Amino acid sequence: MIRYVRRRLLTVIPVFFGITLFVFCFLSLAPGTIADLMGESGSISYADQAALEERLGLNDPLPVRYVEWLWDLFHGDLGESWQTGRPVSESIAQRVGPSLILTGTGVALAILLAIPLGVLAAWRPRSAWDKLSSACSMVSFGVPGFLLSLVLVYVFSLTLGLLPSSRMYTTGSSGSLWDLLRHLILPASVVCLSNLGELVKQTRAACLETMGEDYIRTAWAKGLRGRAVLLRHVLRGSLIPILTTVLTHIPHIIGGSVVVERLFGWPGMGSLMFTAILSRDYALVMGVTVVIALTVFATNLLLDLVYGLADPRVRQGRYGR
Amino acid sequence: MNVKKIAALFLALALGLSGCAQTGGESASEEAVVVRYGISNAWDSLMPYNSPSGSNYSRMIYDKLYDRLAFVHADGTLSPRGAKSWESADEGYSVRFYLNEEARFHDGEPVTAQSWADTIRRMTDPDCPTLGRSAFAVLSGTDAGGAALPGQEVGVEAEDAYVLKLTFKDPTTPEDFLLDKNREYYVLPTHLMEDVAPEDTMDMDLWAAPVGSGPCKFFSEVMGSSLVLTANKDYHLGAPGFDQLDIAVMDKNSLLTALIAGDLDYYAIGGSITANDVPTAEAAGFQVEEGTAPNTFFELMLNNETISDARIRRAIELSLDKELLCEQSTQGYGTVTGTSVLPTCSSYAGDFNSAYDPAEARALLEEAGYEGTTYRLACTSNRQGLAALMQQQMGEAGISVAVETVDSTTMFAGMADGTYDMGIASHTPSALPLWFLESRFTEDNNIFRVEDLTGYETRIAAVKEADAGEARTQAVAELEAYLAQERPFIPLWFGMGLHVRSNTVSGIDYPSASFSNENVWEWVKN
Repeated sequence: MIRYVRRRLLTVIPVFFGITLFVFCFLSLAPGTIADLMGESGSISYADQAALEERLGLNDPLPVRYVEWLWDLFHGDLGESWQTGRPVSESIAQRVGPSLILTGTGVALAILLAIPLGVLAAWRPRSAWDKLSSACSMVSFGVPGFLLSLVLVYVFSLTLGLLPSSRMYTTGSSGSLWDLLRHLILPASVVCLSNLGELVKQTRAACLETMGEDYIRTAWAKGLRGRAVLLRHVLRGSLIPILTTVLTHIPHIIGGSVVVERLFGWPGMGSLMFTAILSRDYALVMGVTVVIALTVFATNLLLDLVYGLADPRVRQGRYGR
Repeated sequence: MNVKKIAALFLALALGLSGCAQTGGESASEEAVVVRYGISNAWDSLMPYNSPSGSNYSRMIYDKLYDRLAFVHADGTLSPRGAKSWESADEGYSVRFYLNEEARFHDGEPVTAQSWADTIRRMTDPDCPTLGRSAFAVLSGTDAGGAALPGQEVGVEAEDAYVLKLTFKDPTTPEDFLLDKNREYYVLPTHLMEDVAPEDTMDMDLWAAPVGSGPCKFFSEVMGSSLVLTANKDYHLGAPGFDQLDIAVMDKNSLLTALIAGDLDYYAIGGSITANDVPTAEAAGFQVEEGTAPNTFFELMLNNETISDARIRRAIELSLDKELLCEQSTQGYGTVTGTSVLPTCSSYAGDFNSAYDPAEARALLEEAGYEGTTYRLACTSNRQGLAALMQQQMGEAGISVAVETVDSTTMFAGMADGTYDMGIASHTPSALPLWFLESRFTEDNNIFRVEDLTGYETRIAAVKEADAGEARTQAVAELEAYLAQERPFIPLWFGMGLHVRSNTVSGIDYPSASFSNENVWEWVKN
């Protein structure tokens, strides 16, 4: 198992270089630099722009800039934000927590709702549960997040006045958990609904496939009660595809949701990335890219480990190598 | 048992993470009177001379943390701020500022003329990596980029503890200087920088929790997302009528919603609202007021290299029904113009506008031998509709245009490097006659890609050299006539701002806020 993990980690290294090089090159190809932002006000001098480009090393060749960035990265330095002049790691550290709270809560809620709904929909085809799961999927796939956000704000904030329309805490408050939860309800609901459809669909499909297996028929033939068949055999047999879907949402949790964070004024990673791209703050964009890439690698590794834990056949197959 | 453990773990994690977002020392008091302030774009560095964008959004923040010399009203009049009064000296080459003796930095140190002089000397030091140093290029002893010239004294002097004298390269009235540069000159706490070499200035920890002398003090920041300031109760113009100013970055489209929902008290800039949103705001019980002076200038930038014939540039102007475009864009709150000079400017010489005439446009195109070249028109996403209308109007006159929607950085960079042939831009005007033109017709900043700048440079120099009054108006008229003939860019209209008034904060000077001036010391949370 350790050898397997080591091998997986070794494959990650070239992929990591590939991703960072790809993003670095594409950022460099994008029109305009942060120095061009100074031109928007009109009252600039070439000297000001040149000074900024020189300071940021934008005049150096692309390979030199990439190697310098990599060198700093290997020394644990993500660099300084071109926009604020402060460490990139500080900016990311400030934003990871809020993103985890928002997207983590939304995705967790989606999982909690989707798994029972998907299982029941598969278990009782054409029942009310099945129709409900179809309706959830349709809303989730068909209604864009921004529209859902606007509708929820209109109903719960503007019309009913029950919930705040934006931000993470009430200004001037000491940031209590209750205050956080009130602010979390609307954006987390949007994240939840946006993810619900795929999770319900995957769970339902996985359960239906498992229910057609011979060992399920055997379980029925042995006279097991329906509940036992469902929980002990159907759900357990469907676990791998469900886990795959669930775990692939983890990078999304870290990366945040740009639209929801922007609309609700939530200080997460998504809005950080959005601002960094618009302001051509490439040090910050690269920093966020590194965090998201590492999260994807960690998730994939976790996925493989969990497969082994969830399915003895996988585990035994690996041990047998 | 396991479920309970997981729930407890989740709760602990949530509490821990929620703590991550609450940074910046002790939490504010529950009883604090808080003004909740929304802003659609993030500021950058909290050091005012280290702002890569130099945007109005950053200036709005600096305006609160640091002090300026004066307060510039929307109509171009001036009020004392860091300086109590000012006078011209040395036959117009200098301005003497009499500073307010009550002004203090947030750490209690007095703000003296020496603080201002040391600030300017440090920022003009070639070793100091100042951004926006060109703001000092008007001072004697500096080069075109605002850096101190070797062996020469920069034109700043502390004549007395509270008398500051600035000396310019060219004769400049105090009013012209302040209208042009007031929002770019801030006094820094140089007493905290004495042992810091100029080259290390921007690396100081001071800028993470800055000490200024403005009406608000720094409290905490989540970079690019929120900023909490506390009221400077000792501010020399009066204590703000609140305890805390909580500034949050939000999507532009969410600002009015948050105001109506009661999540904000006010939003920058000046509670600006589009005419389309006025009924919504009024239905929610908010008053909407019209600005007292135009706060937006719209132009169609032209690439004079690819559209090299002035007849084609004039034909483009004649093909545009500016009245219709202005009506569509401002819903009746705009005035069509053929000049960038504000009608409120003392040197205003007329609108120099060419009336919509597609037949004349077609004749000019034929005369110029236009062969149906398709021009690339760049615009930002919020101006797609306007661009489509322009495309249609130019098409009716026979000019082929392809619209490309890009972000503003790409558009300006594309205009500067010649990628685009046209671009729709807007700017915040000032009451000076050359606020727009002076910086756009230089070798260093030739965004319209004019091959020979001589005609513009000589006429702009004539305006600068003319004494205020009839002579300057005449010089402006000559410059504008030349611009109307050459049309290196097309002035479209001046837009009047609409401001939604806060129901919870009084004393806000909305029109002046449009010009990056907020009188926060006069704000009172009801």
